[in-house]
Amino acid sequence: MTKEERLKKRHRAEKRFRFYGLTSIFVALLFVVILVQNIFSKGSSAFKKTVITTEVFFDQELLEIQNGASQEEIMEADFYDIMIENLIKAYPAKDRDEEDELLKLFSGDAEIEIKKAFLNDNNLIGKTITLDLTASDDIDQLHKGNYPRDLPEERRRISDFQLVIYDYFVENKKISKNFNNYFFNNGDSRDPELAGIGGALVGSFYSILICLLLAFPVAVLASIYLEEFAPKNKITDFIEININNLAAVPSIVYGLLALQILLATIQLPRSTPLVAGITLALMTLPRIIIPCRASLKAVPPSIREGALAVGASKFQSVFHHVVPLALPGTLSGTIIGLAQALGETAPLILIGMVAFVVDIPSSPVDPSSSLPVQVYLWSESAERGFVEKTSATIMMLLSFLIVMNFIAVYLRQKFEKRWN
Amino acid sequence: MSNIKIKSKNLNVYYGDKQALFDVNLDLNEKEVTALIGPSGCGKSTFIRCINRMNDVIDICKVTGNIEMDGMNINDKDLDVVSLRERVGMVFQKPNPFPKSIYDNISYGPKIHGKGETKSELDQIVENSLKKSALWEEVKDRLDEPGTSLSGGQQQRLCIARAISVNPEVILMDEPCSALDPIATAKIEELIDELKKTYTIVIVTHSMAQAVRVSQKTGFFHLGKLIEVGKTEKIFKNPDNKMTQDYITGRFG
Repeated sequence: MTKEERLKKRHRAEKRFRFYGLTSIFVALLFVVILVQNIFSKGSSAFKKTVITTEVFFDQELLEIQNGASQEEIMEADFYDIMIENLIKAYPAKDRDEEDELLKLFSGDAEIEIKKAFLNDNNLIGKTITLDLTASDDIDQLHKGNYPRDLPEERRRISDFQLVIYDYFVENKKISKNFNNYFFNNGDSRDPELAGIGGALVGSFYSILICLLLAFPVAVLASIYLEEFAPKNKITDFIEININNLAAVPSIVYGLLALQILLATIQLPRSTPLVAGITLALMTLPRIIIPCRASLKAVPPSIREGALAVGASKFQSVFHHVVPLALPGTLSGTIIGLAQALGETAPLILIGMVAFVVDIPSSPVDPSSSLPVQVYLWSESAERGFVEKTSATIMMLLSFLIVMNFIAVYLRQKFEKRWN
Repeated sequence: MSNIKIKSKNLNVYYGDKQALFDVNLDLNEKEVTALIGPSGCGKSTFIRCINRMNDVIDICKVTGNIEMDGMNINDKDLDVVSLRERVGMVFQKPNPFPKSIYDNISYGPKIHGKGETKSELDQIVENSLKKSALWEEVKDRLDEPGTSLSGGQQQRLCIARAISVNPEVILMDEPCSALDPIATAKIEELIDELKKTYTIVIVTHSMAQAVRVSQKTGFFHLGKLIEVGKTEKIFKNPDNKMTQDYITGRFG
């Protein structure tokens, strides 16, 4: 082979390699785009809810309370009759059957929504106000265009007559889309239009908080001791190998461990963020220790020697110099560990977080859900309303993960000292 | 005849099974510069690291024999290494300033030893240390800048200032100029000349010329043994040992 041929061959090989690289990046990006596009197209509609603008007249005869009633009195009062009387006026229905069909267009919370309006202003008796009442899931999906109305009636959940009412609402501009506050404020519900991730958000927050409080100090102290103070012998080698092994243990095993020890033996309350947090802390511990030790190891020995040489004790050289220098790496490792914990589902299912919990937990010992488990729960539901909510929850989860990873990268870039 | 500051007797050092120093008997005179020369791996650095017990950092390192400073046994297990290192400062081969400000680099030592209680006392220590290391004029207006932003030679002088800041009696220098250009080297050598008025200095060097320029006494190490020690002039002009002769004339090393 001549020199020129060899040169050509080398250039061809380089070109080929660049082509392979670009292709794989392109394929990877394509998958990301498909995933994100899929989630967005399914999920973005969940941030809006369909409301029916209804006039509500607070008839004294239908209420047991007076103007100026206290909060407790209003809470206890029955608004059912007020609701029925006003809702059936939303459309000129001819008989009881038609009225029943009409009522089904509203969500199961219409009574509570009317009550809330009265809670905001307890002088409404004898007055008429206009309220945006949440529509039922079927109407919500129909209005968002997710529901096929051309199907024959017997295969639809919405009757022909309800379609007539819906069209009447559209024509009179009584139906519109609002920001879906229920999605963020409510707990889980059997009715998709009322279901929200409020409970899951709070549950995840408590779980991650407990995980952080338990895992971070233990992991950091363990890393500092192992890296800086522990004698290098067979025992520490053994510990090191096992920390690496623990980081690779499937998360469901930690769930089983928690099930047996935390729930069966210690009898901590089931389905709670407390147990979830402890389980996630066990799982996250080795995943924090590893980056933490790596960042301690990355501090050059010359810094330690420099400190020792001016007469700093071992303890001073570690805590005055090595630890502060390793801190950015430690923090970003911790955040990435927590981000993994936030997305963890399997161990939480084992400790009972799949329970159907409507109430938003007010403390870490209340039964609760968590974001990934909520995704799992809703993805099993058949209603179209839950399909969009599943995707919307994934969007929320992903945005938390992206924010956390961004913070981790930022900390590392901004505060890590460079030496040469 | 000047006083003997540090005296080693039958000093042996082992790294695990490997013996690094064999029965070294070496006396270092007070307020004098002693240069240690010899091929790489001959034990010069190991020897000076015995003086401030820096070898403690290495788990497998074992030191036997005697090494004394002003009659105090340095090798004593009960000796507080912190107070020893306060008296014996060290400058390393590669400049290793802390990634902190110039001011903090120098004030760190005095702070941990409780010297310089007030801000003004600390300021004074920082200024004096920088003046003694001939760096003051170059950095007095930017004491807040990171020490790592200085040039290599300046960084090394900063490290010398850091060693001086705790007011030691002995300064150990482990090839302090090996990472520096000739101009920076010349500055450090001038500085060493100045510092020997106050401190006892031990310098490990690979440059014969440097040993001749800065030291009064020279020790030649080979394979962990101290082959010959004596007045620098004598070692370089008229060594007793054939091996020393071969080394300084560049026949091996």
